[in-house]
Amino acid sequence: MQTAIAPAPHTPQPGDHDYAVTGIDSRKLGMWGFLASECLFFGALITSHLLYRARAPIGVKTPHEVYDIPYTSVSSFVLLMSSLTMVLALAAIQRGDHRRLRIWLLATAFLGTVFIGGQVYEFTTFTKHGVNLSSSVAASSFFLLTGFHGVHVTVGILWLLSLVGISMRGKLPADKHLQVEIAGLYWHFVDVIWILIFTVIYLVPNNH
Amino acid sequence: MADEEGAVATQDEPAETPELEAAAGHGATLHHGGEHTHPTPVKYVGIAVLLGIITALEVGLYYIDMPEGLLVAFLLVLAVLKFALVAAFFMHLKFDSPMLRRLFITGIILAGVVYTVVLFTLRVLI
Repeated sequence: MQTAIAPAPHTPQPGDHDYAVTGIDSRKLGMWGFLASECLFFGALITSHLLYRARAPIGVKTPHEVYDIPYTSVSSFVLLMSSLTMVLALAAIQRGDHRRLRIWLLATAFLGTVFIGGQVYEFTTFTKHGVNLSSSVAASSFFLLTGFHGVHVTVGILWLLSLVGISMRGKLPADKHLQVEIAGLYWHFVDVIWILIFTVIYLVPNNH
Repeated sequence: MADEEGAVATQDEPAETPELEAAAGHGATLHHGGEHTHPTPVKYVGIAVLLGIITALEVGLYYIDMPEGLLVAFLLVLAVLKFALVAAFFMHLKFDSPMLRRLFITGIILAGVVYTVVLFTLRVLI
């Protein structure tokens, strides 16, 4: 049987600069504010692709005509599972288990790299079908959306690897688990955005 | 410097404070900052399995011949469910301060309303 242990609420003390008057760490609050703003950023990119996804010159294929759904499904599953390894890394540092922290962080970075590799392969395949950044408005908006998402994943991978390096130097003790938690928030957000992209852009039929 | 090296030498060992031991013993994780307890690793794996099943269901629906409106409705419900599971359990929104939940949900609602209006105005959703 699993039981919960409720910790005492944190009371901000004089000189405790990391905590805002809300009692929430200001770095964590800042990250959530950033993620809320990112909803609008990715919302704009998804909307622009929905607007333009059928617009292509006659004889030029749209991205929708060259999607490989089974391939992208596997890729999406890989990114989804990277969220599991990320949260296991956080659980590890909260237990003070630094060896498993590094293992799970490396696993997350590896799964993210597999996803990016898959995206590069997908883009290459699209180019062979004549679908590239400048072939149509539909293709431009597609590459802009998925490309920006890929950049976010790449930044996340670099962040995770830097955490592994910091941990290996012994400068990431258990009481600094918030550093891993904030990186994890970013990583999970990148994952949930892909959940929406995969459904709205890849799976929803394009009959306009 | 010597202290840092000492920290390196001992960091790989799981912490053995009474609080953490108690938490580990009950399969729970202790937190600071007025947060509730996070789920156990076993529960995280369960959530991941559920997410995998929902993804498989989504892809299966894509290949089933059904009215487009129904398909889109099913796909969107499943995507929202996956989004909510990751945000609630992996991002700990279910357990963290309600203020963080409100902040993030405000961003989602703002984006959803603004871009839905845009899509209706430009007749993409009609």
